Amino acid sequence: MSKAIPSNTTVSSKTVSNRHVLYCRMQSEPAGLERLCRVVRVRGFRIAGMSVECSGEHFDIALTLEGSRPIFMLQSQLLKLHTVGEVVLGERQMRSVAF
Amino acid sequence: MNGAQHILQAFQRHSITTVFGYPGGCIMPLYDALVDDVSVEHVLCRHEQGCALAADGYARASGNLGVCIATSGPGATNLITGVANAFQDSVPLLVITGQVPSELIGTDAFQETDVLGMTLGIVKHSYLVDDADSLPGILVEAIALAQSGRPGPVWIDIPKDILLTQVNPEAADHDKRESCESAEPRTDSAIYSAAIDKGINETLRLLREARQPLLYSGGGITLAGAEDSFREFAEHSALPGVVTLKGIGNPGRHNPNHLGMLGMHGCRAANRAVDECDLLLVIGARLDDRATGKPETFAPNAKIIHIDADSAEFNKIKAAAVTINANLNDVLSALTRGLQAQPLSIETWQKQCRTWLTTGGFQAADNEEALAPITGPAFVRQLSRIASDDTIISCDVGQHQMWVAQHYQFNHPRQHLTSGGLGTMGFGLPAAIGAQFAKPGTAVINVAGDGSFMMNAQELATIRRYRLPLKIIILDNQCLGMVRQQQELFYNNRESHINLDDNPDFVAMARAFGIPALHINRTDQIRRGIETILAYKGPMLLHVAVAREENVWPTVRPGGSNRDMIESTKPAKNKTEENAA
Repeated sequence: MSKAIPSNTTVSSKTVSNRHVLYCRMQSEPAGLERLCRVVRVRGFRIAGMSVECSGEHFDIALTLEGSRPIFMLQSQLLKLHTVGEVVLGERQMRSVAF
Repeated sequence: MNGAQHILQAFQRHSITTVFGYPGGCIMPLYDALVDDVSVEHVLCRHEQGCALAADGYARASGNLGVCIATSGPGATNLITGVANAFQDSVPLLVITGQVPSELIGTDAFQETDVLGMTLGIVKHSYLVDDADSLPGILVEAIALAQSGRPGPVWIDIPKDILLTQVNPEAADHDKRESCESAEPRTDSAIYSAAIDKGINETLRLLREARQPLLYSGGGITLAGAEDSFREFAEHSALPGVVTLKGIGNPGRHNPNHLGMLGMHGCRAANRAVDECDLLLVIGARLDDRATGKPETFAPNAKIIHIDADSAEFNKIKAAAVTINANLNDVLSALTRGLQAQPLSIETWQKQCRTWLTTGGFQAADNEEALAPITGPAFVRQLSRIASDDTIISCDVGQHQMWVAQHYQFNHPRQHLTSGGLGTMGFGLPAAIGAQFAKPGTAVINVAGDGSFMMNAQELATIRRYRLPLKIIILDNQCLGMVRQQQELFYNNRESHINLDDNPDFVAMARAFGIPALHINRTDQIRRGIETILAYKGPMLLHVAVAREENVWPTVRPGGSNRDMIESTKPAKNKTEENAA
């Protein structure tokens, strides 16, 4: 991540809005999806599309997001949620995550 | 054993000996279980916000988990400010609330609120328990989570019927225990170790290349328990250093290269060093806006190395050349070892920083006039000289908080309890109560402003009830001083709703709670006043009348650059008179 941005650059949100697709796998729990959506909103992104599949004890979530901030900042915040196991950007496939 | 009794057993197993709480309808099964329990001291505060902030102060002073308990509905909502305060400052807290019985959830029952939903943004994690047999596993996980990695509050909301249901101890959820163990930072894996080693080597290389390197530390040092390894590194490297508000005390009182606090109310020497450095080594800090000012002009010439337990803080405000996500103790020890073979050659830079410190450190001349009104900085400097080295100071929020940060010489970061992230007025008194329970043999002083003191003044009753020997000092300028200051400087001196000249008689108020109190208003009374309260064996309040027009200097316009510090050239009162003329 640090190589993507020149050192000492100020990370600003005043740039053009971009569209991203994030795939998340999280443990199924009360308020789990609320937790996820709250972080997306607070960290400056808008949900343009969302699909959720519940398989056993976890959710597989595909988020289409719009926002001007660097997407890695949202990824790292989502990964801090205790029940989120994996967050990948774009078309990459998620590997199996044990909770 | 029912759910309530199991909670108390979990407290005992995890060496939780003190909890702060307030009973009510849905949490009554837990309070019933407390009647027969002798292993936990339950401290009854007089408001749930007091419970949460006392638990916060307990955790900050001791480094152990703070625990608070309340009932559903208003009990839970009253906890919220205190829990948000702990979240912002990464304080480990376990919050337990009663909830309406499971079958009534969602029926708008008496004292029902959606606690899980309304607290999502202020907790590290939270649970609504829907099965009594899951409670043992949840408790184990919650206690570990609150204290692991970057600490924070974990909230367990428990319906009343679950508290009353028999728990099968064999049903403890082993999956949760395993999940909890895996939640620890994975710094022991080969990949992580290699990344850390690479980061340390790169840091050492950049330190040796730099001509003007600066050490920037924050509250993460204490959270990691890395005070000793930090001091060893700071002393061995001899790097000039600055601290954030929460990093105050990191270098101790006697590091000659320490420049003081940076940021909005930091000293000119610290902000100047940040402005001029060519390498900024950030350890256990998140580069928050009060510290950096306008980020575009912050450390404009520096490469940044960022070391923290929370990788989400990297590249959030300023992009770093090197990031290291690891246990700070390990990294600091490795850096110290790395510099032993080849010390840094930065004498010219060290000399320059010391010169800046001489001319631009925190300076508050003691008033020579015995009958002069008391100023906040002069009072705090006297307090710092008189109080013992291990005294804990618990501040509220406002001008007095900044005067303490600027002029009190702290020996250790756990002696300085301050609401850094949330800026919670009313923090100081209950936090001091928590600190006194954590450190019963240590002097604890709450330094408050008149505005902040009134926000949790009901906790005087808690002090009296438990006969806590803590001291309360109110620096009373009969207004909301920090707001008044900003209105004066940035809103054309248009004062708006900051006047508190109808404050109660604080001395009489303390005495009404059974706490003796003194009043002083002249410079020549400062020493005697401080010595009197510190010598008293029980709780005592010192009411200090301070000048209304006194400002915190230096200051930076909110959103402005730290280069553009505003310093007073004459008393604020005269300036006000000039404006009026």
